[in-house]
Amino acid sequence: MESKRSKYILICLTILCILLIGVTSINSSVLAPLRTGIGYVLIPVQSGVNRVGLAIYNSLSDYSSLKGALEENKQLKEQIASLVEDNNRLQAESFELSRLRKLYQLDEEYMQYSKVGARVIAKDSGDWFQVFRVDKGSADGIKEDMNVIAGGGLVGIVTDVGPNYATVRSIIDDSSRVGAMALQSGANCIVAGDLKLYQEGRLRITDIPKEGDLKEGDKIITSNISSVFLPGILIGYAADITVDSNQLTKSGYLIPVAEFDTLQEVLIITDLKSDLMAEPAAESGAE
Amino acid sequence: MKQKLLNILLIVLAFTVQNCVFPHISFLSASPNLLLILTFSIGFIHGKEAGMFCGLCSGILLDLFYSGPFGFFTLFYIWMGYLNGIFTKYYYEDYITLPLLLSLINDFAYNMYIYVFSFLIRNRLDFFYYFINIMVPEIIFTVITTLLIYRIVLISTKKIEEWEQRRDTTIV
Repeated sequence: MESKRSKYILICLTILCILLIGVTSINSSVLAPLRTGIGYVLIPVQSGVNRVGLAIYNSLSDYSSLKGALEENKQLKEQIASLVEDNNRLQAESFELSRLRKLYQLDEEYMQYSKVGARVIAKDSGDWFQVFRVDKGSADGIKEDMNVIAGGGLVGIVTDVGPNYATVRSIIDDSSRVGAMALQSGANCIVAGDLKLYQEGRLRITDIPKEGDLKEGDKIITSNISSVFLPGILIGYAADITVDSNQLTKSGYLIPVAEFDTLQEVLIITDLKSDLMAEPAAESGAE
Repeated sequence: MKQKLLNILLIVLAFTVQNCVFPHISFLSASPNLLLILTFSIGFIHGKEAGMFCGLCSGILLDLFYSGPFGFFTLFYIWMGYLNGIFTKYYYEDYITLPLLLSLINDFAYNMYIYVFSFLIRNRLDFFYYFINIMVPEIIFTVITTLLIYRIVLISTKKIEEWEQRRDTTIV
């Protein structure tokens, strides 16, 4: 008797799940209230556990790194001396640069984006997916499709937002694709995450036109034509570019700037590409 | 009822530890799948319905974490709870070989499920690479951790049974 009942429950739940999968793959906003509700309960727990775990781990690693730190200290002091010298020289150069920028009226677009700092509170522990969760949400003005950067480079994009959390898909996730271009030549390409390559610390660059000028060591930035990524964000450096067997395109690898293994704090750019594109359109409409 | 509450508590704890603590331990190349261990242990010890209930809770938590189609993980976890519940008739305490074997099979099935529905359908054909580099480490860690988690579930079950028995006798 009991086994019959559990069989019915199983069948009901299975059908429910398959229905949900079907509905949410077409329209993912159906379950937003549920996500919001559970988020209110779960996020405080997550950030608490995260903080405790991090504190324990940090104190352990502090102790073990104390020995190395002494030696490092000596080396660093020597380095400071040479860096001070470098710094003086660079400061002089930066004044020159800003003067020249004014002269050329160059836009420092990258610096103009407004950013919000956020702490990474949860990561997928398995190796299949590269998604993580941060402790800022719609209450802090975070919206879907906002770009996330860290360590000077692109990290990912916000895919899901709750009132006090946001889920970010890294660019190293196997399903991630970013429209990009070479900084020097402007040759377009696509930077795609690949689980296999990530283990070697690389991403894939594909769809470079054969005549496109993209060489090893070129800086790769997000492109102007991407629909969700803001233009001009550094992604990484190109490596091992070869011509594909179809003789029409080139492809290669990309070494990312951001360090994905040790991600703890990230910056979320609160400007949206869709707003950026809407603005000029509105202006031209007014004229 | 007490048992159910405790199970929910354990699931939430496992979920937070799995997602908030393990990723910080950088020297672990893979980490055990605590939710999977918990679900199949509870299914194995308490039967199909408890297993399904536990699978439902863990699946929903996971589905909320990933922003893909909702229900993907729930579906698998419910079935896992149910199927492991079938083996509950072979369950007796201090018998660890079968749980370990189940853990191995469950984790392999779980990884295959993800591989087939998330990677194979996007034309990622190199199964052996994924098998060696992702599945095997996770399976090994999970099987080892099973030794510990399974024990915890057993002990908590026993404690609650004793507690409830004592309460019954005092009422009488």
